[in-house]
Amino acid sequence: MSTVIKIKLLIVIALFFSSFSVFSQKKLLDSLFSIEISRKAEEFKTEKYFTKATSYFIQEEWDSTLVYSMKQLSLPNLDNSLLDYCHFFRAYSFKQKKLLIEAQNEFSLVSTKFVFHYFVKIYFGEIALEQNKYKKAIPYFLEVENLPKDKEYFFNKSTVQHNLGLCYLHLEEFDKAEFYLLESVKLQEEQNDSVILVGSYGDIAGLYYEQYKDNLAIPYFEKAYNLSKKIKDFQLKQNSALNMAVVEENRKNFPKALVYRKEYEQWRDSLNDQNKIWQVAQLEKQFAVKEKQKEVSLLQAENKIKIAERNGFFYSAIVLLLLLGTSFYFYREKIKTNKVILAQKETLDELNATKDKLFSIVSHDLRSSVNAMKTSNAKLLENLETKNLEELDSLLHQNSAIANGTYNLLDNLLHWALLQTKQSYFEIIAMRLFFIVEQVAYNYQSLLVEKNIHLENIVLKSDMVFADQESLKIILRNLLDNAIKFSNENGVIKIYTQNNNDTFCELVIEDNGIGMTEPTRFSLLKETTLLAKKANENTIGTGLGMQLCKSMIQKNKGKLNIESEFGKGTKMIVSLLKTPPNG
Amino acid sequence: MDNINVLIIEDTPSESEALTKVLEANNYNVVGLATNHKEALTLFYNNKVDIAIVDIFLNGSPDGIAFAETINVVPNASKPFVFLTSSTDRQIFERAKLTKPFSYLMKPFNELELLYALELAVEKFYAQNDVFLSEEENTVISEEYLFIKKGKSLKKVLIADIIYIEVEEKYCNIITEKEKFVILISLTKILELLDDTIFARTHRNYIVNTQKITEIIPRDNLIILTGEHKATLSEKYKDIIKKIRTLK
Repeated sequence: MSTVIKIKLLIVIALFFSSFSVFSQKKLLDSLFSIEISRKAEEFKTEKYFTKATSYFIQEEWDSTLVYSMKQLSLPNLDNSLLDYCHFFRAYSFKQKKLLIEAQNEFSLVSTKFVFHYFVKIYFGEIALEQNKYKKAIPYFLEVENLPKDKEYFFNKSTVQHNLGLCYLHLEEFDKAEFYLLESVKLQEEQNDSVILVGSYGDIAGLYYEQYKDNLAIPYFEKAYNLSKKIKDFQLKQNSALNMAVVEENRKNFPKALVYRKEYEQWRDSLNDQNKIWQVAQLEKQFAVKEKQKEVSLLQAENKIKIAERNGFFYSAIVLLLLLGTSFYFYREKIKTNKVILAQKETLDELNATKDKLFSIVSHDLRSSVNAMKTSNAKLLENLETKNLEELDSLLHQNSAIANGTYNLLDNLLHWALLQTKQSYFEIIAMRLFFIVEQVAYNYQSLLVEKNIHLENIVLKSDMVFADQESLKIILRNLLDNAIKFSNENGVIKIYTQNNNDTFCELVIEDNGIGMTEPTRFSLLKETTLLAKKANENTIGTGLGMQLCKSMIQKNKGKLNIESEFGKGTKMIVSLLKTPPNG
Repeated sequence: MDNINVLIIEDTPSESEALTKVLEANNYNVVGLATNHKEALTLFYNNKVDIAIVDIFLNGSPDGIAFAETINVVPNASKPFVFLTSSTDRQIFERAKLTKPFSYLMKPFNELELLYALELAVEKFYAQNDVFLSEEENTVISEEYLFIKKGKSLKKVLIADIIYIEVEEKYCNIITEKEKFVILISLTKILELLDDTIFARTHRNYIVNTQKITEIIPRDNLIILTGEHKATLSEKYKDIIKKIRTLK
């Protein structure tokens, strides 16, 4: 029976131990030690990683401490003390994370010159203790225990003594164990830390109980139990209550034992409750986290939808803009085209009007010519009957003149039509101007004789021009026709050239006839398609001749100029190419 | 000097009458008047025609051009043509132009225009442009004839009839058996255009028809030609003796 209890107690002790040792370390860190390492960090504040590692170390963020100390270690040329600190931080962090072997390795890298080297020893001891290598642990603790007493140390001596006591307890060297545990309790009582004291009392009680010194053990159990009432740690309360229950059971004081048991169960339940509460809280937390996660994902989805919507809006806006742009462009093009069409229509209307006017004038002229011929012919017949032969001659001449005029009009009309439809053969070649003038003038011989006009062709035989022969003849015919028309009887017409230009040969048709006023001259030279009935009563004309002349000259790449003085005569100057066009 | 033989191909009698009148007034010899394509061909081949005046439209179709095209494909048969037309219809002109060389006369025409067209046709046909109208020259040389402008009209001289040519500055005295006359042509051009197997230069100023040589007297630097004409033979051109077949 009692052996069973003892085994139980041992478990209890082991429980104490683990919690106990943790306490001692925490205490260590809170103490002056942290101030000391902060000072050290200040000293090396240029080392960024070390500073960070230090601050994380103080905040007990072990993983971060490991990371930054590693980073610091990977840098070259480190100060020895800095190395020691880094290794120390790493070792301590490993130990905290229960990676005991790594911790041991790191601790062994800390040099003996390290200011806090005794900590290394303590931790070596503690690691050995945790690995149940009690014999190995004892020398480390003893070494720390026997440190010169004149210096200040940051470790808790009671902890070391307690640990020593534990070691001896496990090794069943009870005398030594008793000594160290009692020493440690003494110190702890001075420090008045109830939590630690409960554990320590429990340990001492366990020590005595192990040796069957129940009388000695029981007061400690009671002490621990009483103290445990003041603290909040359910585990400790539970343990001390259980211990009391076991003690009472052994003393056969069952009612009391039952009370303790119940208390124990109560504490255990509380612990369970607490655990449950904690679990529930954890579940709630998980649930909340899940909810949050859901919310987050919902928000994310919403966000995605929003982004998609926004993109959709954006793209549709672009497409709309493009559409608008293109439609605007086409609209403008259409307007442009419309403008062009309108302008063309206006020109066309104008041309059509001109054509209509031309038709009316030409037909009017033709009608009057033919009518004149008709009356003349009637007279001719009349005179033939009366054998008035003298009159016959003049009438025939008159008829011939009328026919000639009409023919010229029709010829011009034909060429005008051909020019407009571009059906006419046209070839610019070299030719001698003199002969062309001669040929054209030949047709006017009778007319010249009739009006007694002297025509002089003083164009040089060597004058060469580049022109289309037929159109040049039409130009000359019209100009000569006009010259004769506007010449007085006994007038003189001179045709000659002026060669004072490299590109053009200027052909001048000069008469000393009635001349023209400046407005007439100007209107003749104007680029217009409009035709006007001539003011001169004696001259029949449509203006078609001049118009044709201008068009033909233009087609021959020439120029027309007029010099005239009213009442004195006119010079028609046609500039014709001396060299072939386009070359 | 002979008159030029002209063949008229024209279906309108009034037109052909007017043509004949003007041509004869200017000493042209009208050798025939055809009114259709077939007639035209017959007359063309049976007469010695120097120039043909062809109306493009015969009886309403452009047979005139067809005639010219027919003649053009026969080797050595072609003669200078003058197309007569009453319109400057571009399509017709483009077709007529293909019968190169091409010269035309637009109706209605006057005497000067007709004569001008005839001269132009000869010039163009023998590829010696701008001869008759210039003041420096008046002769076109074909293989057979010299065409010489005399007054307003053209004359021809059979080259084979020429005994010798005496050059005087820019004039050339042409001496034939029957007559002697002056033409305007440069020496270089006449040498270039005359057949050099028949005509040879014997002196700076003499070109001789070698077929007309009766005797060469190198001692006196003299060549005796038919009709007792004499030409000088200078040292420089004595090689001519080697070229002439002499009786042994």
